[in-house]
Amino acid sequence: MSRVLVLVPFALDDAGLARRAEQTREVALNQDVTYEFRAVKAGPTSFVSPHDWLLLDIALFEAGLVAEQEGFDAVVIDTVSDSGADALRSMLDIPVVAPGRASLIFSLTLGRRFGIMAQWEPALARYEKVLDEWGLRARCAGVDHFDTPPDFSNLIVGKEDEILPKMEAACHRLIERGADVICLGSTTMHQAHAHLSAVLDVPVVNPGPLSYKLVETLLAFGLTHSRTAYPRPLVPKPQMVSAMLDAAAAVERAHDA
Amino acid sequence: MQSPRTKILVLVPFPVSDEQLALRANQLDAAALPEGVDVHFKPTKAAPSNYVSHHDYVLADMSMLESGLHAEADGYQAVCIDTVSDSAVSALRSMLNIPVVGPGRTMYAIASMLGRRFGIVTMWKQWFPLYERVLADIGLADRCAGIRSIDVTPDNRTLLAGKDHALPLLLDAARALVEEDGADVICLGSTTMHEAHEHLQENLDVPVINPGPMSYFVAEALVALGLSHSPSAYPPPLVPKPDVVHAMLDAAATADAERR
Repeated sequence: MSRVLVLVPFALDDAGLARRAEQTREVALNQDVTYEFRAVKAGPTSFVSPHDWLLLDIALFEAGLVAEQEGFDAVVIDTVSDSGADALRSMLDIPVVAPGRASLIFSLTLGRRFGIMAQWEPALARYEKVLDEWGLRARCAGVDHFDTPPDFSNLIVGKEDEILPKMEAACHRLIERGADVICLGSTTMHQAHAHLSAVLDVPVVNPGPLSYKLVETLLAFGLTHSRTAYPRPLVPKPQMVSAMLDAAAAVERAHDA
Repeated sequence: MQSPRTKILVLVPFPVSDEQLALRANQLDAAALPEGVDVHFKPTKAAPSNYVSHHDYVLADMSMLESGLHAEADGYQAVCIDTVSDSAVSALRSMLNIPVVGPGRTMYAIASMLGRRFGIVTMWKQWFPLYERVLADIGLADRCAGIRSIDVTPDNRTLLAGKDHALPLLLDAARALVEEDGADVICLGSTTMHEAHEHLQENLDVPVINPGPMSYFVAEALVALGLSHSPSAYPPPLVPKPDVVHAMLDAAATADAERR
């Protein structure tokens, strides 16, 4: 039996976490692998600015820092921003699957060029950064969006008539620009995957479920990240990281009170 | 009429003693800034012990963001980062309107104006990923002829003190970058190597860029020109959380003190 920890990038309640966990039912998974979803202690409210990206990096880093000691066999980041993945890899020997880079690179096995469907205009900057970081700009047909503010807990259900046509239109624009494959720009879009796959003529990569299949594969082969690419710190400071997130959560609680 | 003074804040990436801060401030001796420019050096509250792992990079970004967050409110006209890793440049730019100068990206851009290709000479191999990250970020990786290390463990507090043996090694590495790798310009791989700049420049026929002092001049120039980073490249957060960031660094400083 293998245990996988899925790190959720927002401090969601149980209902919100359960909706995130629905992603594991969208693909047939190895029954010998179990998935536990854990939310961060605190984090950014929006995800549109380098301020937000940095806060999420350290929040997810903290959430997964002791996963190996807790007996988990792998970690999955539940956001295509891959926030915290690099830092976690520097501290953990177990695989840390980053669905953003995984879905873009995987899509290139299915077509020459991919298109990324983002949520709304403020989200575009983050994809620009990822394309440069990974050197994938030449294989990207475009990044488009469906002009809807994010809902990190429930993006689609009950709003299908309003949102799905906008998503379809964004995908068609990407296909016109040469996309052979559509990559969903957020794991929160998983609720739209079945519909889009049914109505579009190109493959649609669903980053969350793909990351679970990848984690199964890595576990099966005993593969993990390379230590030369993700060196350990000479002086690890896990207590410092935990103290920082406890302090962040305390400030958030004080605001809410 | 007296022209207003330009105040530049330099963020030092470690908590350091006054004596160690003075070693950093010695970078001001490299070249005389225009009249009316005041440069202040500020250490962070807490920090990673080194810059060799993604663990360290995240902690460095957080601590430098916190350190510079109030620079604009405190009356500074520009911020410089005292590390070529350019830690927190993006996050600070998303929170400040004043220029935030990363010496790494600035050095590579200026090196590209002085020659076709530049080489980076550095203390140890563990810093290579820092250069690769910034080069990828600004799209100048193709202009980098090579990176060479002398494999001497750096000290981010005492800099090159007691490391006289490093100077000939740095010169050999820089010569190899020029003669074997095709570098037209040499970049120093750390602001902490500023003490080696004079020796290298005296003994090499190509330009050698001293990233820290260079960043102060660029900061002054940006202020004089009325230029700053583009908000479309560094959008502000919808919900800024400066109080969260401060609380995190206070907690980090306490945790670090307890660990020691």
